[in-house]
Amino acid sequence: MKWRGALTALALTALVVAAGAGLARSAGDSPGQDPVRAVAAGLRCPACQGESVADSRSPIAAAMRQVVADQLAQGRDRDEIRRWFVQRYGADVLTDAPARRTELLLWGVPLAALLGGGYAALRTLRPRAPRVAPVVTAAAAPNARTAGRAWRAMSVGLFALVASVAVATYHLDRPARQAAAPADPIAVAVQLARDLEAQHRYDAAARMYREALRERPDDAVQLRLAFVLLQAGDTAGATGAARQVLAHAPDSPDGLLVLGLAERTSRPAEAERVLRRFLTVAPEHQAAAEISRLVGGVNRVDATAPPDTRSPAQRSR
Amino acid sequence: MTRRTLRRPDWLRAGPAVVLALTVAVGTLVALGLRPPATSTAGDIAAGTPVPAPALSGVTLDGGRFDLAAARGHVVLVNVFASWCGPCRDELPLLVDAERRWAPRGLRLVGLNIRDGTEAVRALLDETGATALTVLRDPDGTRAIGWGVRGVPETFLVDRDGGIIDRQRGVVTRQWLEQRVAPLLAG
Repeated sequence: MKWRGALTALALTALVVAAGAGLARSAGDSPGQDPVRAVAAGLRCPACQGESVADSRSPIAAAMRQVVADQLAQGRDRDEIRRWFVQRYGADVLTDAPARRTELLLWGVPLAALLGGGYAALRTLRPRAPRVAPVVTAAAAPNARTAGRAWRAMSVGLFALVASVAVATYHLDRPARQAAAPADPIAVAVQLARDLEAQHRYDAAARMYREALRERPDDAVQLRLAFVLLQAGDTAGATGAARQVLAHAPDSPDGLLVLGLAERTSRPAEAERVLRRFLTVAPEHQAAAEISRLVGGVNRVDATAPPDTRSPAQRSR
Repeated sequence: MTRRTLRRPDWLRAGPAVVLALTVAVGTLVALGLRPPATSTAGDIAAGTPVPAPALSGVTLDGGRFDLAAARGHVVLVNVFASWCGPCRDELPLLVDAERRWAPRGLRLVGLNIRDGTEAVRALLDETGATALTVLRDPDGTRAIGWGVRGVPETFLVDRDGGIIDRQRGVVTRQWLEQRVAPLLAG
């Protein structure tokens, strides 16, 4: 019994020491030595994907490092330099830096869990002191109950830990996915447009879609363009884009949807006809419910507030 | 001996609950703290809203002087290029041709040559028939960074009032010139 307790204590100590060593190592390689590198590590290389200015070998990143070095030599501090870059490259130039605080929390949570686990293990495994022997049965009950509670608390805590890491990785995952954009320039343009769209910059997104369409006509992109124009309030443009698709695909549900919504103010009767057609063509469409409500009371609905016409991908954002 | 003497102190009994509460709190903080940062629209030139062009002046490759501020009243194309960049090589003839055609209508073209050697630029200009191009040198690329250049080639369209009204990332096309530059020119 005694060697088991010693073994557990040994294992726990080893774990804590290992965690401490890891923490020390991960905290050790940052700032400190090279101020240029410290600032550059906080900047994202605009010419590359997923690399910081400090790590990238691209000429643009090298030039940016030079700028950082020059400005540091002029006595500017880190924040001033970062602001200088944001003015020129936008906030995206910052490696979003989930700040060292949150990184420390990521270490702190497991540490807290470990300490709690150690406490619970001690409670369960510690041999009972001989002098309470006469009343051991009386003592055992509350002791075991507390130990059980401790273990239950720990399992819930562990669950919370796993859940928080899951949530964290979900949030961290997205920039990585965006960074892995395909190399095809048109696909890149479309991806860029989608990002702009997600930021509600519909005019800029429309420009990108148009550019992509000039190079390679595509119905899906044409429909995205129509949606974006509709969002931007350019109903004439949206009508035109939707009609282009409907010209050779008269039953395209999205084409009918955009056309109907776009013409709702200018030609309400025609719009209702188109929207009803949309409902017959695609009763399962994700916008069908909203549209049937709309068609049911087309006069009642505020025409300046189009229903949610975003793509499923966007909705999930 | 009563049972009370066998109880652990209150603070020990509360231990597991405290640990649980702490873990949950910390987990929540981590989850909240890692929300992706809001993307800002700063730094990107939306067409139609001119941004004042950064200063650009200096000695040109052929020993003359160029100052963007002195080019007010002209439409200026600032082409960021380098000899080590293949696409730059391809677009130079088009740009030079545009300047030749449109110079009478007020267009000027200036090349900003980044992180390059003098000999290499000269060779490039010879090869592409762009020997007359006004070239400013930017050996360490810092001027280009001041312009917010993201890669080469990149071309900025500066209007007659010295504002950047458009930028083309990547190769300039004839279409872009016709659509974006031509409307700004006189006549």
